[in-house]
Amino acid sequence: MDSDTISLITQIIWLAIFILLITGLNQKIQMRIWAMDIRNKLNIIKRIIDEDRMRVEKIISNLGYKTPAVLVDRVLDFFVIEPVGIEPTDIIKRLDHTLRTGEGTLRRFIENSLPNVGKFERSLIETSMEILSGLNLIYKVIRHYLLTGERENNWILLMQLELVMPTIMKYVETYHMALDPFTTGKPIGDSLGPLVVYNLVEKSKMLSKRVVDDTSIIEAWLEDRRVLFVKAEGPGSNVGHPGAVINSLVEELKGSVDLIITVDAALKLEGEDTGSIAEGVGAAIGDPGPEKIAIERAATKYNIPLRAIVVKMDYREALTVMRKEIFESSLKAMEHVLRLIREETKPNSTVIVAGIGNTIGVPL
Amino acid sequence: MSYLDPYTVFTIILVIILIVYMFMETKKKPARVEYVTRELLVCYSCGFQVERDHEPGDFIGLVKGKCPRCGGDLKIKGIYSVDKSKILKAG
Ligand SMILES: [Zn+2]
Repeated sequence: MDSDTISLITQIIWLAIFILLITGLNQKIQMRIWAMDIRNKLNIIKRIIDEDRMRVEKIISNLGYKTPAVLVDRVLDFFVIEPVGIEPTDIIKRLDHTLRTGEGTLRRFIENSLPNVGKFERSLIETSMEILSGLNLIYKVIRHYLLTGERENNWILLMQLELVMPTIMKYVETYHMALDPFTTGKPIGDSLGPLVVYNLVEKSKMLSKRVVDDTSIIEAWLEDRRVLFVKAEGPGSNVGHPGAVINSLVEELKGSVDLIITVDAALKLEGEDTGSIAEGVGAAIGDPGPEKIAIERAATKYNIPLRAIVVKMDYREALTVMRKEIFESSLKAMEHVLRLIREETKPNSTVIVAGIGNTIGVPL
Repeated sequence: MSYLDPYTVFTIILVIILIVYMFMETKKKPARVEYVTRELLVCYSCGFQVERDHEPGDFIGLVKGKCPRCGGDLKIKGIYSVDKSKILKAG
């Protein structure tokens, strides 16, 4: 090869690149590469769903139901329609009604198919199926955008999809990992609130316990104060209705409550430490609205101070088996609650302490 | 040996760097941390604490065995996951 041949080859390469650029063919090639990558990841999601589905179906059939696939199929595509938002009159009431109906319907699906199964197992199956249905939704949405993008040669759509895929895969992995605690009943990061309440109850002199609306109310004597603990009824997978219960408790006591404290897990910002504790004011609860507003309304009506203690964690840590750091923080958060009670109230006053979150793995 | 002009050498080096970079990009994968579930057992009469592997069916508040120091009840205080590499296996 002499220098003339080399220069000819270089010229042809440059020319080819130039033609690719002006005809947009390079984008077509890039689009194919992106579509291939998305399809590969989609197949991974599909494999995860199939694996998880088999696990859930196995649990259901072990509990004595012969055709688990029918039940899973029915729950997989179950949906809840949000109420109208442009007309704000009693939107909270309508939302609460819709959510409770959805909750009750899912529960009845399972109760009808598995009539002899206890509350604990039922709640685990319920949540496992919700996880499965979440994964299935992610899969279907990604597939929709991939097929649309390919059919319409919409390379911007595919590019966006390719760019969000790592985040989505992280969510998928989190859901996949969350199936472990929800099939075995181990506490998760979000169980922090109920765990703090459980530890506080152990420290205090318990007077009575009742269950209202899937939520436990424990009356106890702690630090010379009458404390009403509120947490979801454990140890199944259950978030209860702490807002509605606090509201009716305050009404029951005719507003003679001196302090309401909510303890919850909060999503941390990237860079913050897992398990760091923060104090604040307001209702620390991450529901779609009805529970939170119930606490705020009760506190506002009778002018009761509303204090919050949160422990920071990320999305994955909140949904998977509780990390040791978070467990250690729960003990520190308990000390925070005790200090808050001592500082903000006098002896013989009444305090409500609510542990917000899924109480899976935490009894009472 | 006149055909290896500086321009060709530069191009070849550039291509090699590009290939090595692409290779390293595809190989790079974040190290996966493996977690195991452990449980903390506490004796409420003398404060003795011990951490063990979690066994299926165990839950918080379960009385599990006797305290080796004072003979009181050992109760499960917490169930949590720990980075597998950080556990010091004793016995
Ligand atoms: Zn002991």
